[in-house]
Amino acid sequence: MIERAAYLPGLDQDALEWELLDFATQERSIQVAVPVLSAAEVKVVTDHVRQQSQRTLKTYSTVQIIEVIDAAIARLLDRDDPYRRKMEDLLPVITGYDAEIVRLGLTRYLKTFRKPELLRFLAEDFSNPQILDGFQPLIKGGFGRAYGPDVLAHIWAGNVPGLPLWSLVSGLLVKAGNIGKTSSAEPLFAVWVAQVLAEVDPDLGECLAIMWWRGGTVGPETALLGEADVALGFGSSHTLNQIRLRTPVTTRFLAYGHKVSFSVISAPALDAQKVASTARLAVADIIRYDQQGCYAPQVMFVERNGAVSPELFAQFVARELSVGEHKHPRRKLDIAQQNSISSWIFDEEIVSESCVISDSSGTWAVSFQGEDLTFQPGALNRTIRIIAVDDIAQVPAIIRPFKLLLQTAGLAVPPDALYTLAAALGAAGVTRITALGDMTSPEAGWHHDGRFNLSDLVRITEIEARLPPAADKLAHYAD
Amino acid sequence: MTQNDIISDVLGFINQSQVKDTQDETFNALALKLFEYQFALNAPLRDFAKMRSKTPRTVTSWTDIPAIPITALKKRLLSCVTPNTSGRSFMTSGTTQSGLRGQSYHPTLEVYDASMRCNFSSRVMQENARLQMGIIFPSSEALPNSSLAHYLQLAMTHFGTPESRGFITSDGIEFETLYAALRRAEKMGEPYALLGASFSLVHVMDDMKRRGLKFTLPQGSRILDTGGFKGQSRDLSLDAFYDGLSIAFGIPKSQCINMYGMTELSTQFYDCGNAVSPSEKSGPHWIRTRVVNPLTGEVVKKGDVGVLAHTDLAHFNVAVSILTEDAGIETDHGFVLLGRAAGSDAQGCSLAVDEFLKATSGVAAPL
Repeated sequence: MIERAAYLPGLDQDALEWELLDFATQERSIQVAVPVLSAAEVKVVTDHVRQQSQRTLKTYSTVQIIEVIDAAIARLLDRDDPYRRKMEDLLPVITGYDAEIVRLGLTRYLKTFRKPELLRFLAEDFSNPQILDGFQPLIKGGFGRAYGPDVLAHIWAGNVPGLPLWSLVSGLLVKAGNIGKTSSAEPLFAVWVAQVLAEVDPDLGECLAIMWWRGGTVGPETALLGEADVALGFGSSHTLNQIRLRTPVTTRFLAYGHKVSFSVISAPALDAQKVASTARLAVADIIRYDQQGCYAPQVMFVERNGAVSPELFAQFVARELSVGEHKHPRRKLDIAQQNSISSWIFDEEIVSESCVISDSSGTWAVSFQGEDLTFQPGALNRTIRIIAVDDIAQVPAIIRPFKLLLQTAGLAVPPDALYTLAAALGAAGVTRITALGDMTSPEAGWHHDGRFNLSDLVRITEIEARLPPAADKLAHYAD
Repeated sequence: MTQNDIISDVLGFINQSQVKDTQDETFNALALKLFEYQFALNAPLRDFAKMRSKTPRTVTSWTDIPAIPITALKKRLLSCVTPNTSGRSFMTSGTTQSGLRGQSYHPTLEVYDASMRCNFSSRVMQENARLQMGIIFPSSEALPNSSLAHYLQLAMTHFGTPESRGFITSDGIEFETLYAALRRAEKMGEPYALLGASFSLVHVMDDMKRRGLKFTLPQGSRILDTGGFKGQSRDLSLDAFYDGLSIAFGIPKSQCINMYGMTELSTQFYDCGNAVSPSEKSGPHWIRTRVVNPLTGEVVKKGDVGVLAHTDLAHFNVAVSILTEDAGIETDHGFVLLGRAAGSDAQGCSLAVDEFLKATSGVAAPL
């Protein structure tokens, strides 16, 4: 059976025109059907979602919504559930990632959306989450209530399975009607999530839709953005600019651009006892989803004067990458990605005069740089530049010029260095600081790119402090 | 081994008009000689080769000569001599990597010109010595660093009739003058050759459509397009492009020839018309192409997609073997070009180098 990559309440799916996308790995090829949507059809769905979210979702309490999401996530964590089985079966073919990487990644990721985590998620952004359910006293006086958008548009991008879940759940938590547009690289995950949510709670299922069109198709994209109250865009600067141009000026547009992350390894992490596990953790961050997520390191700063020199540590990293290739082979790259690795290796060797270690089949590459401290991304797909520094305290100054592009720093540092370094990294633009090995799994409620995932989506309506006393004067019991 | 020795050997090989049994051997010997010459005098090429443990001593077949990635020509000057004003530099247009442009320095254009003329004569002119030509591309005075402008200038000088001329000035395409020339050729029954950048031909077709114009050029007329049209005009499929040309100018698709050339080479490839697209491309006996895996440099299985690596004996000063970023498939008599492989769909949210360079151009080096 060909999977249909769309979830479109309000439209007769059988009456739509469908197009087939091909996905193949060495062992298997599958086809996924995607709808060819007109602007008018997009409008039908957005109208439906708006009405339904006004009618039902807005009347749900936040706790009710959390329970629906929790029940859906419980199903997706159950390896016998048919949707979970489809995810484990098809996502490796669609994205090309190793099946075990996908399976482990899904579980690790989905676990961050269970009820306790969702409550934490809410508490991060709202000191009193009940503000989403009714007017609550404000610290300044008066009362306030937070309203989520009737239609929240998500323009997703990329090939890391599961990423759409972040913004979709954020939208649901603030009671928004959600319409997501998936990327051609991975069009199915969001559809399955929507279907499970609809099975758990059919009414809530009417308040979301998942669409597809080829990135940048003007008609349907302009129609969706024109109907949205708030729009979220993910992707390259070019993509985000295009989306911004198509978004009415009155619509709030929140852009999540591509980012670059790095790791910092201090001398104490390189002693004889710890160096092997340090290398293993450092490489785990590289291997999971082949550095496609913006939280994955592209540069590794390694401190001198440890028991193992940065040069030698580069060999440890190379060895781990080689082991990783056996355990979890890199996905098949297209020619453009292969080209960018081959030209990166040339640049590293000839232009930067770094020492490059790679395997003969080109499945990974480590570039070691002992002199030049220039921060520059690698070629992704298991390529990493290791820069030797005399002192990890140098790192913030090296990365500071790239402030707006930075995201995660993965640290292997002792506690006395941790807070000093973290303060300097934060000032330099880093928005997430985590342990080496944890870079690719942000914890529940993280502030994506340093922003408020939920409170950025809502508008607050305030009852000013002066109004209740004024109303009192009109009470039938007024003296 | 002086530059003059090398030039005379290469010219001798280019001018070997009929195919000889010993051609494989001669090609191999000359390629190795060029590699040795470049290895001795061209430092970036030598560094690159040494890192792959390839030296004139270990390389015994032209297929083992390390192919230099074209990105290298953007970052380093690859030349066996110090450039001076008597030579000529051709540069790429520089649309990627924050405007870095690739450079090929030619101490003399003698070999480039011989390569172009010999090949153009047999593949484009065929039985004709001269044809009336219209060039839809800026002149080489206007674009002195463009290898294509120079190529088209050579075509016009050596193979065009005196009435031949270019139709692009600083004000753009001279549509009316072009149409007048085409009308004249139509009336006189003289075969006409229209040569230019693919995207300029799209602009001409669009303009003709607006005016409701069509031509039926005399038998023996032909069109030569080159360069593709991505990002320069509206994008269209190859079939739509050649159908459009054929209808607009009344020339069969089999007479619509596509040239595939690069600033990073001194020799061009042609197809035998575009009755079927994509067409099979091939080059003359002094250039050989392999379809390789860009990461390993190994030749891919015949029929599989890889990138094109060219060994061009006419490129004596820069690098005899070049690794392109163009995807292609090996065929019986050449290769099918699938175009530049860049900007993949299957990318995550990690910032890629190109975007990083664009976003940070102007950021000073940190330390």
